[in-house]
Amino acid sequence: MTADARLIEHMMNPRNYGKMEDSDSLGMGKNPQNGEKVAIFLKVKKEDDPVIEEISFQAIGCSTTIVAGSLITDEAKGMHFSRAEELVSATLGMLDQQTPEDAACTEMVALALKASLDTYVERQKDSDFPMISYHVSTDCTPKEENENAETL
Amino acid sequence: MQKLFNEIHEAWLATQFTGFMSQTQSRQELYEFSNILFKHLTWIENDFTKQGLSYSYDIAHVPVKVSHISVMIHNIVQRLTAIESQLDLCGDEHITFRMRSDLRYMKSALEKLPEEEVVSAFDAKREYGNIELTSEAKDALTLFLFEESYKEYELIMVYNYSKANSKDAFLNRIFQILIDESFFHLRSFGQMMAQMGILSVPRSLMEEIYKFDDLEQFLKDGIQEEIGAKEECKKLADAVSSSSEHFADFFTFINNQENYHIALMEEALEYIAKK
Repeated sequence: MTADARLIEHMMNPRNYGKMEDSDSLGMGKNPQNGEKVAIFLKVKKEDDPVIEEISFQAIGCSTTIVAGSLITDEAKGMHFSRAEELVSATLGMLDQQTPEDAACTEMVALALKASLDTYVERQKDSDFPMISYHVSTDCTPKEENENAETL
Repeated sequence: MQKLFNEIHEAWLATQFTGFMSQTQSRQELYEFSNILFKHLTWIENDFTKQGLSYSYDIAHVPVKVSHISVMIHNIVQRLTAIESQLDLCGDEHITFRMRSDLRYMKSALEKLPEEEVVSAFDAKREYGNIELTSEAKDALTLFLFEESYKEYELIMVYNYSKANSKDAFLNRIFQILIDESFFHLRSFGQMMAQMGILSVPRSLMEEIYKFDDLEQFLKDGIQEEIGAKEECKKLADAVSSSSEHFADFFTFINNQENYHIALMEEALEYIAKK
């Protein structure tokens, strides 16, 4: 990741970071390769197409994860669920434009948002439904390390 | 009590990071006061563990971006006043007596600190004195400082939690050394962040980072992380070596210090295995 002014601002002051005590939903994105994870909390306004009233995230991860969490949660705040689903799909569809390390971090945040949306929907049918976690599919090993491993 | 505990935690970070932005003798005084507040945190924590109460390090974000240091000093004094007003929540009157005395003194000393313009600690210019850094070196250093300042804060809190919840003198000696080492690194990196204009307080910790069941696995993972950090330091030393011999030496020094941390964690692992 190159550190341009916008990204530095998100690193210095990540938006929507922290635990939400009275959330309506919580979902998790995980990277089993390195133990990193992102939790996304939602406060939801009930409608036919529910609205994300408040959103926050916490992460065990690197600066790229924090920047991705800050950008994606900022974008998702105020969205209807249908739009937030589109945001998740669009984000996942652009992963190949990033380095493998950055793509894995971004995917983890997008999946955490999807997990939180899905958890909320399931809990409308069954209030005891457990929190949903999704695992990233992107290999976050830098390309040159993969190539070296193949050579060996 | 959890609210009081959080507010002491936040006041400690506010004071420590105000120390980073200062370029005058006030820095040393702020460092000393942040040490005192960290000690207060451990006193209250000890009271929690004695009573068998669970607690967390889940705190609110601590904003520090100001143009003049007096704004932060005023903010810290307000934080200390709020802490004073809640001290009766702690049942141990010896602790509250000592804390009250410290807080009163710190407040009066803080109000005497001279004004300083500190806007350059937050201007994101990413310049370091007279040292010319290439844009690649600037990026590498920026990312390193964000990653590692958080990591050092995390390590301070993880080892502090482990120490507070262990009665094992051998392990606690190791935890304390690791806390002290991380304080040194946090201060080195914090000062560099202020110099580069990218100073900010690390994000709060997820509970599962410090509330873990398997110390052995934690130490094994910790050794791998230290090896990773050594590699980062080496890369960074190489990246900045053409720009600054001083920087290259500094990161080689930090890299070599990680060997000591690894040795300490290996010592703890060996001890756990024998037990």
